[in-house]
Amino acid sequence: MERTMVLSRRKTINMVIVGVGGQGLITLGRVLGNASIISGTNILVSEIHGLAQRGGSVIVHVRIGEPNSPLVPLGGADIVLGLELIEVVRYLEYANHDSLFIVNNRVIRPSLPKVRAPSPQAILSKLKELGLNIIAINARELAEKAGSSLSENIVMLGALMGTGVLDEYISLDHVKKAIKKTLPPRWHEVNIKALELGYMEAKKQIA
Amino acid sequence: MPKPLLGGEGEKVFLLGNEAIARGALEAGVGFVAAYPGTPSTEIVEALASVAKDLGIHVEWSSNEKVAFEAAYGAAMAGVRSLTAMKHVGVNVAADPLMSSAYTGVKGGFVIVSADDPGMWSSQNEQDNRYYGLHAFIPVFEAYCPQEAKDVVRDLFDFSEKMGHPVIFRSTTRLSHSRGIVRLGKLPRPKTKGVFEKNPAKWTLIPQYARKHRVRLLEKWERIKKELATWPYNRFISNDSKYTIIAPGIAYGYVVDELRTLGVEHKVNVLKLSSTVPLPEDMIVKVLEVSEKILVVEELEPIVEVEVKRIAYDHGLASNVEIHGKDYIPQYSELTPNRVRTAIAKFIGLSVPEYSPVKLSGLEIPPRPPTFCPGCPHRSTFYLLKKAVNSLRLKPIYSGDIGCYSLAVLPPFEEQDIIIEMGGSIGAANGLAHVIDQPVIAIIGDSTFFHAGLPGMINSIYNDAPMLILVLDNRITAMTGHQPHPGTGMKATGEKARIIDIASIARASGIEYVDVIDPYDVSDAYVRLRKALEYVVNEKKTALVVAKRACSLLVHSMALRKGIVTPLYIVDEDKCTGCGVCYDFFGCPAIVPLSNGKAKIDPAMCTGCGVCAQICPFKAIRIIREGDKSWKELWF
Repeated sequence: MERTMVLSRRKTINMVIVGVGGQGLITLGRVLGNASIISGTNILVSEIHGLAQRGGSVIVHVRIGEPNSPLVPLGGADIVLGLELIEVVRYLEYANHDSLFIVNNRVIRPSLPKVRAPSPQAILSKLKELGLNIIAINARELAEKAGSSLSENIVMLGALMGTGVLDEYISLDHVKKAIKKTLPPRWHEVNIKALELGYMEAKKQIA
Repeated sequence: MPKPLLGGEGEKVFLLGNEAIARGALEAGVGFVAAYPGTPSTEIVEALASVAKDLGIHVEWSSNEKVAFEAAYGAAMAGVRSLTAMKHVGVNVAADPLMSSAYTGVKGGFVIVSADDPGMWSSQNEQDNRYYGLHAFIPVFEAYCPQEAKDVVRDLFDFSEKMGHPVIFRSTTRLSHSRGIVRLGKLPRPKTKGVFEKNPAKWTLIPQYARKHRVRLLEKWERIKKELATWPYNRFISNDSKYTIIAPGIAYGYVVDELRTLGVEHKVNVLKLSSTVPLPEDMIVKVLEVSEKILVVEELEPIVEVEVKRIAYDHGLASNVEIHGKDYIPQYSELTPNRVRTAIAKFIGLSVPEYSPVKLSGLEIPPRPPTFCPGCPHRSTFYLLKKAVNSLRLKPIYSGDIGCYSLAVLPPFEEQDIIIEMGGSIGAANGLAHVIDQPVIAIIGDSTFFHAGLPGMINSIYNDAPMLILVLDNRITAMTGHQPHPGTGMKATGEKARIIDIASIARASGIEYVDVIDPYDVSDAYVRLRKALEYVVNEKKTALVVAKRACSLLVHSMALRKGIVTPLYIVDEDKCTGCGVCYDFFGCPAIVPLSNGKAKIDPAMCTGCGVCAQICPFKAIRIIREGDKSWKELWF
């Protein structure tokens, strides 16, 4: 993956995490923040609370390196970490043709009357038509394998680490330590496992 | 787990902007804190409440912002360092004591945090509360990142105490809700006891004293301007350029990053501002003297821009310098990197750099507005209210309010015709009831009822404005992340509190028809909602119904934390006809249609409330896992 090398040389890595309120996007950001402290990297994570969390569309901005401001520019995301595919499409304007997409192969139907949601296959094939660099992960399946369907977010974090894009800033070990620092003890084991499964899946896809 | 907010000096922790503000107050030895929750301010006082017992300080959720302000102001009169925090529109509620606090001044340091919401992520407007500083003669301070927010808030207590004057720290959503790494300072022992020294000439604003205060206030304002000359968070970064960008608060971060993106960081001067009302006038004059062109990059209103222009005029510099601001930066919504980049490029005469975002055509995606959570009792109440209204062939006006239930404005419910501000549901109904023929239903949450619903309810009885007041009581302030209120039975610190019962207040106020229903008992709640509506229509009197059931999001996360097994429901595919009542008209996100239209319950999302099983016309939903016994107790 030549592209990951290009990303790593940049001063500040811009990432958007997109998904649906309740999928654990804010927790994901907190784990990344604590991992950054452990690794000695600077980071800014910007999120939205309140109304936006009630099952609505959510975008979290993450800037790692030397950020002074909290938001990722339009067309400026080096990485799109998508926990849900409709939301990946909704926030495409943050991406560019060199962005790395790490996406959960899943669609969550918006809870609106008579709503029509495209299938994951339809969205993925459209994205691939554009020649984008996409890694698709069946996070739900891996999370269940790890022991909890609620750990999809950590599977995706594992996949992010597995691509190696953050290697110069944060290691898998830093993230493991951060999980222990961020989450209550009873969730450590499941989430470490979820992290590893996501990590290995991304590694497998890159190889 | 150790509390990051209590970390030792020199320690680096990952804090939300709001937590950093809280830590700044702790590093100043704050002794008294009162607030009413509101996005994006809530986590400041939530964080302080979580360490109140460790430090022995008083932290409370007050019944509204006015009360919170007055409580903190009162403690500051007695010399205790105090903080109150609220969202921008909360300051409107507290505006009365705010104006007076500038007249009397304070003894202990008094910091008012106003968390503004440019972009209206979770608000009804995007007012710029720096105007309150100009209006009330209270200085306003800002910061650009969590670290600076902590440091500024800490130092503001000294500043406030030195000047004997309240101060406003103005945050915005992107500061309050950004997380960053913060290096902690020293944590002193807080002072929690004070002495109130009687002095009517200072503390009573009767006209004869207030007139003197007014003159003194104007003098004090000049002293404050002079004092700001040394405020360490204002900084002029000179590149010996004729071009200067003035960047107050969070704008500074965007300006630095975008100057770098454009590769011109050494070609312009930057004036980083933290004290935005009043401006450090001498500093501005110096900047005006060395600049030919100035760009003020600020979010929302041109407050700094207008002041800079005024100063240029007053000092005879207006003809030498070109000053830009809102002609380059939009006056609505928040700053973004792209907005700032475009403005800077235009300012220094560069072409705006192109970017090529990914564009996808030929694929329609549905919108995803926020919605009631699975198991939310409001969903059931709105579903049943609509059914009751339809069965009586009524065409009521739904006067709505601020809270999670505002979401009922959207399909499939559409039962919020008016949403104005906290308490406005009953307030506006007081007018509607006198002038329209349809029945009026005022829908208000429990926390909102205590906040500003009570005076409206009393008015409806006093002035004979018949309405159905429907209190959606989920036992907590849910929208802002579950803060307790006077009806919860718990204080901010987790201690037990007396429960103030809404139905009892209504009866004591003279409402003759008061009822309490359980939205999960579908057939009973339906009959009683119908009865209450009939009463209002036939008797032309006010009725109050409390729909009482705890917030499912809170209860479900508590169950998850404690390892309590919740009930689980399943759709019997043979019985399901695919009518869509459960997923289209009831709209539970845990129920999704299969390709054949039949319903399926996602076990990961089902909270086990059981309402869908009661409303399914074909009895196709049944329980397949009983919950633990303790489950029922949890969901009171």
